[in-house]
Amino acid sequence: MDMLTQIIFNSLIAGAIYALVALGFNLIYGATKFFNFAHGSIAIAGGYATFYFNKILGVDVYLSVLLGILCAGFLGYISNKLVFSPLRKKKSSHMIFMVASLGILIVIQAVISLIFTSEFQTLSSSLASSKKYIFLTGIITKTQLILFLSVLLIMGLLVLVLKKTMLGKTISAISDSEEIARNIGINSNRVISYVFVIGSAIAGVAGIFVGFDTGISPTMGMSLLLKGVIASIIGGVGNVYGGVLAAFMLGLIENFGVWNFSGEWKDAISFAVLILFLLFRPQGMFGKK
Amino acid sequence: MNILKLKKIRKHFNGVLALDNLSLDIKAEGITGIVGPNGSGKTTLINILSGCESLDGGTIIIDDSLRSKKMRAYENSIFGITRTFQEIRLFEQMTVLDNVLVVLTEKNVLGAIFEKHGEYHLMKAEELLKVVNLWEKRNELAINLSYGQRKLLEITRALSTDAKIYLFDEPFAGLFPEMIKTVMKIIKKLKEEGKTVILVEHNMLLMRELCDEIVVMDNGKLLSKGKPEEVLNKKKVLDVYLGK
Ligand SMILES: Nc1ncnc2c1ncn2[C@@H]1O[C@H](COP(=O)(O)OP(=O)(O)OP(=O)(O)O)[C@@H](O)[C@H]1O
Ligand SMILES: [Mg+2]
Repeated sequence: MDMLTQIIFNSLIAGAIYALVALGFNLIYGATKFFNFAHGSIAIAGGYATFYFNKILGVDVYLSVLLGILCAGFLGYISNKLVFSPLRKKKSSHMIFMVASLGILIVIQAVISLIFTSEFQTLSSSLASSKKYIFLTGIITKTQLILFLSVLLIMGLLVLVLKKTMLGKTISAISDSEEIARNIGINSNRVISYVFVIGSAIAGVAGIFVGFDTGISPTMGMSLLLKGVIASIIGGVGNVYGGVLAAFMLGLIENFGVWNFSGEWKDAISFAVLILFLLFRPQGMFGKK
Repeated sequence: MNILKLKKIRKHFNGVLALDNLSLDIKAEGITGIVGPNGSGKTTLINILSGCESLDGGTIIIDDSLRSKKMRAYENSIFGITRTFQEIRLFEQMTVLDNVLVVLTEKNVLGAIFEKHGEYHLMKAEELLKVVNLWEKRNELAINLSYGQRKLLEITRALSTDAKIYLFDEPFAGLFPEMIKTVMKIIKKLKEEGKTVILVEHNMLLMRELCDEIVVMDNGKLLSKGKPEEVLNKKKVLDVYLGK
């Protein structure tokens, strides 16, 4: 087996997960313009929900995945409904939104730890038939293959919705200027609530896949979120394609870095890349300024 | 018939009374002009009518239904109201076409998730954009248009909503004569179609030609109201204008 091909496969999987987080984050950030810390923990909550249905209740694995995605979407919905939407009505500053989202992150983490303990949980044996395929000169498991293809599918669907549908136009309008949208008669609160559901559901997919790929723990949300955010900054915030491409790039850089140095350096490498970008190209690789 | 009845409406901004117990009836199916010196409350009135600002006191009756004090801007469409802004407000990073299409969408967002804009919407957008010579520019970003084109695009966006009541805040300001003619045509056509137009404008020549009725405001109060030729020759109206 060829090491290089294997690293590329691993990078693609990591990249796909980061891309999902970045997509959801970008979507919500675009419409609301605040840094939603809760996003990563909602992703992880999606993973745990799937774990709960599948491993504890014994529900079919595919159905559990679907339920996990729905749970993440629902968490996004209620976090907006109970916290962000009231704050928007009060015209709170971005700082307050950020702090509130940190609060939600902490609550979700705590609840997950209470229910599932802070141990590492993994979903992987759920796809018992986790066949291995030999591809070129590397090995890719069936889970990883499904994961990778689903990510492509979701990205395709999202781009289609954003670019081609009326909802997509309304979302772009709100991302352009929520105030104008509201003032010309667009019910921006309702659209923003859809954005939270869609963005969080996509994050949920990422969390579920982390569960299948490497396993999840309650506090993983933050680092997962930061990877997504790094990707979205490198790709140019608000640029859907840019964020996805950057996510894959980040996956590659991390995995090659780990190969050269060691596993502990993984996060440090990502942040080094982020800092380089912030210093020398803050508008991102393909940025719209 | 009066389509809009304002009773003692009040609005203040930290100490400034922008609308001071203003009572006013506006006739349906015609053009009502609102004039007055800078800061007399014209834009505030438009903001209140379109739900962009909340009301401090008083009542507004639209088409015989009471409009709640807390009406939000997005509820406009229920009352058939649309508007343009004194300072142009477009979705800068969206195309000309999308700026128009986006207001056609709102009615049923959930149903629209997997729906492209209908053929009907596109035809309507084409028809409207051709009137203002922007159809050729439909794929350009709004931010790349000239000032006049942006103004016309904003008016087009308002037209695409199929409202009953159109609020235009200084739609002629800064336009070249050719474009002024286009906007005049648009406004006259709305009147022919039986719509109600409320127009804020400083250019008295245009106002005389267009309006069925003129409302003069001063300091948030109603100073005078009537046919253009009567109102614009009144001494107190001239005093307010020349006195500033
Ligand atoms: N958002 C706001 N905050 C504070 N004061 C405001 C605000 N909007 C309007 N005002 C004040 O209310 C008064 C009326 O303003 P308004 O914009 O309605 O006048 P206008 O008649 O449209 O003037 P112009 O002809 O210059 O457009 C002014 O004194 C203005 O300073
Ligand atoms: Mg004004």
